[in-house]
Amino acid sequence: MRFVPNITTDVIANIQQSNQAVTTALQQVSTGQRVNVPSDDPAAAAADLQLQAQSANIDQYTSNAESVLSQAQSADAVISSVVSLLNQAVTLGTQGANEENNPSNRASIATEVQGILSSVVGLANTSYQGVSLFGGSVTGQAFTADSSSPTGYTYNGNSVINQVQVGASVTVQANIPGNTVFDSPSGSVLGALSGLATALNSGSSAQIGTATQAVTTALDYVSQQHTVYDSTVSQLTNQESFLAQDQVSISSNENALVGVDMATAEETLSQAEISNTATLTASAKVLQNSLLNYLPN
Amino acid sequence: MTSLSSSLAIASQSLMAEQAEISVTNNNIANASTTGYSREQVELEESPNNGVDITGITSVQDELLNIQIQQQTSQQSSANAQVNALTQIEDLFPSTGTSLSSSLSSFFTSLTALSANPSDTASRETVISNAQTLVQQFNSVSQGLSGPASALNTDVTTDVAQINQLSSEAASLNQQIVQQQAAGQPTATFTDQLNQVETQLAGLTNISISHTAEGDTISTGNGTPLVMGSESYALQTSTDDSGNTQVLDAAGNNITTAITGGDLGGTIQVRDNDIPTLQNSLDTLANQFATAFNTAQESGYDANGNPGAALFTVSPTVAGSAATISLTTTDPTAIAASSVAGSGSSGSNGNVASLTAVQNATLPAGQSATGLASGLVYQVGSLTSAATASSSAASLSLTSLSNQQSSVSGVSIDQETANLLQYQQAYEAAAKVVSTISTLMNTLMNMIPSGS
Repeated sequence: MRFVPNITTDVIANIQQSNQAVTTALQQVSTGQRVNVPSDDPAAAAADLQLQAQSANIDQYTSNAESVLSQAQSADAVISSVVSLLNQAVTLGTQGANEENNPSNRASIATEVQGILSSVVGLANTSYQGVSLFGGSVTGQAFTADSSSPTGYTYNGNSVINQVQVGASVTVQANIPGNTVFDSPSGSVLGALSGLATALNSGSSAQIGTATQAVTTALDYVSQQHTVYDSTVSQLTNQESFLAQDQVSISSNENALVGVDMATAEETLSQAEISNTATLTASAKVLQNSLLNYLPN
Repeated sequence: MTSLSSSLAIASQSLMAEQAEISVTNNNIANASTTGYSREQVELEESPNNGVDITGITSVQDELLNIQIQQQTSQQSSANAQVNALTQIEDLFPSTGTSLSSSLSSFFTSLTALSANPSDTASRETVISNAQTLVQQFNSVSQGLSGPASALNTDVTTDVAQINQLSSEAASLNQQIVQQQAAGQPTATFTDQLNQVETQLAGLTNISISHTAEGDTISTGNGTPLVMGSESYALQTSTDDSGNTQVLDAAGNNITTAITGGDLGGTIQVRDNDIPTLQNSLDTLANQFATAFNTAQESGYDANGNPGAALFTVSPTVAGSAATISLTTTDPTAIAASSVAGSGSSGSNGNVASLTAVQNATLPAGQSATGLASGLVYQVGSLTSAATASSSAASLSLTSLSNQQSSVSGVSIDQETANLLQYQQAYEAAAKVVSTISTLMNTLMNMIPSGS
């Protein structure tokens, strides 16, 4: 075969190829990504999008979990305050049941109990970031004064329990409706407190004792509500650490799919540069080669 | 018996032969970088009465290589046309920043946020604004897909015009070659040009060539004649109902689907196959996602306690869904997050789970919304990478074929320079012979005593 006389096209193709290699290597180093456009690796690009969506969801689940966690902790703190108020009421009731007390002393104790009742209602109306903690799904005050009600207060909320999404298939209970916490048939806080106040004002020692017993029952009941929030908090803590792990494994998956190993990428880049320099140097030499250069003038 | 005069005749033949060689060498050097030029060489043979005869000047070519080069050129142009169009489309699906996938994902994460705080107006507004972004992405990607389609129609028109132009050039070259042959003149120049025209034609569409006494007959891959002898048959274009430019043969038959290869073939491939496939996937996603989400909306109640209403307006048919999808409302309270009717609705998140479930629920197309969106990216990516791979393969093959062709037909300056030295020496030698004979003649003449 005759030699190829016109090497220019070959040389140009080689230089282009070599430049392309440098550009690709540089792009991989500067972006840290092996896949920069879908056509670099269609399957990996598509899989990466799914991982990105999962990762965004996990971020949102984490933020939901944090927000519910604070909400549950506030509600739990409210329950603790209610418990200590009820303890006070029990002490007052026991004191009032003492036969030594005359009616005027009892009346002043009744006023104190009434004060506790309104503090409890105040606590029941606590809102967290605009959300009523004990109103079910109703925004605004959970309890308002109502003289027609036997307790003196009426519940405006509903019995809705919100289950908040903190995982693809994980939800946690975010609230306990106010009628369950404060006005439950198995231990109505409001009923017991107003009953105690009424008994103190007009009842016998025995009646006051019974009313105090009712407050103790309500106290036990409310204390049990701690467990609901405790369980929410522990679920959330577990879920948060699971989400954090999941996020780590997703980003390592993403990296494996579309990322480059930096050391390899830099190695490739420097090789591409060396090879490019060599190509250019060789091309410059070869292109000058001509018989004409060696002929005497 | 040889005489001095017959030697002189041989010497002058020799001078002419070397002049012809030098002239051809000169022509080769002059055309060293002319595209499509095949090197020429002088055919010499020993004359029956001694001396040298010029039998002709031939052009060095390899017919098989020419055909292979035309085929590869066709394939490369087709792949390049596809790469160009698809790269533009690929830009519609960026892997970072706002894309269809990212806005779909953001829309659902903002819905998930409602789960923690359903009554928060800011969170609801985020959902609406993400829905707006998603709808805009559907609209703009759909528009982005139809944008290249109209540019491709222009390409079809210009390609057809170029094919017609080249066909008529080929026809007139055919005619000139036949005339030259009839007159016994060299045809190398015209053959080179015809070859070049044929390669250009191959770059526009797949062609087949057969040699006849009237010159080359050229037809498209499906057999539509372009050139027969000195006649060329112009292709025509027309616009169909959907606004796409169609290719018609000289008789007016639509041959669009039969066109393969070359820039025209690649352009038609992208316009009539690739883009409609992608558009259909996008429309399917828009239609089924919006329908599923609207259904989920209807299972809940909005922030005012009213039954949830459709959030997306979407065409009942799949076609055109992505282009026309829009929001029914921009009112943040319209998100049906609640499962509680009437008052007390705003704080309930009972329906958020069914809204977010749409993200991963299997749609009628057999995949989830996220799956369809990433599937679309896969389609674009694999079409582009297939076209790119085909282009590089054709390009490699073409480089190798060109090298082979160059090694057969290309002009080597070094070779021509060496030849030139050789011819120069031969010419000098022949001239020396002439001058020697002249001296001998003189000597002979001087033998005759001059009259005194």
